[in-house]
Amino acid sequence: MIVLLLWVGGFGALAFFAVKLVRRSERRLGTGPSDYYTTIAPRPDADGLISAYLAGVAGQLVLPAADVAEVRMELIDHLTDSISSLEAEGMDHETAVREALGRLGPAAELGRQLRAAHQSTRRLLAGAGGGVFSAAGGFVLGYVGGVGLAFVLLIIGALCFGLLTLVGIPTPNFNADQNATPNSLMEATTLLVAAFVATRYAVRTSAGLSRRAPRSVAGFWAAASALVFGWLAIFGSHGQQSWPGVIAFLFVPVVAVAAAFVRIERPMPHVGRWSLILAIGGVGVLGLSLVLLLGVTVSGGGSNNDSPSPLVTSGPPDYHFGIVAPPAPDAWDPQGSIFGGGMRSDASGGQLYSTVTDPQAAVPMSTALAYWHDLRFEAWHSLPDDPTQGFGLDTKYSSPFAVLPAEIHPTWLQAVFHFERMRDAGFYEVVLTGVGPDGKRYMLDECGGGSTSFNGSVWDWITAPQ
Amino acid sequence: MAGKIRAQLLKGTTTLLVLTVLRDGELYGYEIAQRIREKSGGAFIPSEGALYPALHALEADGALGASWRESDRGPRRRYYKITTSGVRMLEEHAQEWASFSLAMGQAVGSGER
Repeated sequence: MIVLLLWVGGFGALAFFAVKLVRRSERRLGTGPSDYYTTIAPRPDADGLISAYLAGVAGQLVLPAADVAEVRMELIDHLTDSISSLEAEGMDHETAVREALGRLGPAAELGRQLRAAHQSTRRLLAGAGGGVFSAAGGFVLGYVGGVGLAFVLLIIGALCFGLLTLVGIPTPNFNADQNATPNSLMEATTLLVAAFVATRYAVRTSAGLSRRAPRSVAGFWAAASALVFGWLAIFGSHGQQSWPGVIAFLFVPVVAVAAAFVRIERPMPHVGRWSLILAIGGVGVLGLSLVLLLGVTVSGGGSNNDSPSPLVTSGPPDYHFGIVAPPAPDAWDPQGSIFGGGMRSDASGGQLYSTVTDPQAAVPMSTALAYWHDLRFEAWHSLPDDPTQGFGLDTKYSSPFAVLPAEIHPTWLQAVFHFERMRDAGFYEVVLTGVGPDGKRYMLDECGGGSTSFNGSVWDWITAPQ
Repeated sequence: MAGKIRAQLLKGTTTLLVLTVLRDGELYGYEIAQRIREKSGGAFIPSEGALYPALHALEADGALGASWRESDRGPRRRYYKITTSGVRMLEEHAQEWASFSLAMGQAVGSGER
């Protein structure tokens, strides 16, 4: 509990200070690209010389709006004092203006020197450090916001599917891969939002602190974010995967680059009164949606109970093992020693399937398998163990999706399947087959089954053998 | 020719002159230029074009702080104030300048003999 509080407090503080930092940095940035290149239209009089001079200075500045405005005001102050002083010495106005401007030197040179003075190495380092800090805080904020958005999308999706089901339109069965599709899509959505906010925070903060236009630092942050968040999306994020989720993950670096450039001159939206009202409203809508969704689910379940599926029969269920191979004749297992085996997880996380000989009779495997060769474990797609959808193997498939040769041990056979690294395992059943004396393959044993979903990174998914 | 020599001698000393006049209190840009001129009895006339980049660079380095406020006689002005870091920088520059001028004095003096 204490650890949880520390985590929440730590991330909360990081996000809080990142928001403070980006707001403080943004004060110098203005609201749009026109602010970075302030131009002043020259007027055709003596003061027009001053306007033209200031325009010449500003043309070289390329600084945030606040800096440009300050430089301009300071130079106007200086010229006002200088011209007054020269006029007091007896010069006419136009000559005084020309003399005051001459003392400041060429406008372009002054602009270049001022720009160099503002964009010091110290400020560049502050911008880089501040950018990294605010990116971390922005990532936390974006992650939290992304989770919220993912849940909203989930609710909307569930409502849509619920409505489609009510009107009789078939919808995808997400149970087949243990909800890997919605789960991976939610995770990708969260990372997409987090990468977007983090990159934008980094650009805005570093631009403000280093006194540069956001677009001039956007390239650096776009590359850095694409690398960091791209790596996180493809290699660093482990969990359930599906093709829609993987495609969404692959968009993470694209979104990071877009976040650095698209409308980057606009300030970040800040949490204000309307945001709070919208958030509270959103929670209300979410709650209502959940209530509606639960209502649909409950009423749907009731109707199913009233009309049992025709697949449910009073006799023993048909597991459709006939699609694998004919059952092994008893004649070739005279002692009945090949027993049903079992399944368990092995140390590497794989599913270990085994078949044993009769422990009472203590028949060696070599004796039990006297008639058999080319023994192998076959993994077949199966139906969910659900009365409405049937039992046993899925008859849509005519071949196993994974096959391993049986390792022969003194009193057992075994094989280890890594279904968590197979893209379309879903519901499965493992059986033992072998070639009999007649040269035909027979099914010797049913070893068990279950359901699984792919678990790994996007890279694991893409490079998976199946 | 004398003015050119003066300008070259002044090159690089703007920072020292600015920090020196600001040690006595807050001033705005034009006042700084005037104060340098006054304190040197008119001997040093800082280039106004070099003054503002120097002020802004010193501010960026943390040697000066700047704030906008109403002046005693007129519009809002940007006042500069020396910071603790600026005082340290002034001491270092003053020491360097003292060593330099001593060495120059000795070199020029020995040349005359």
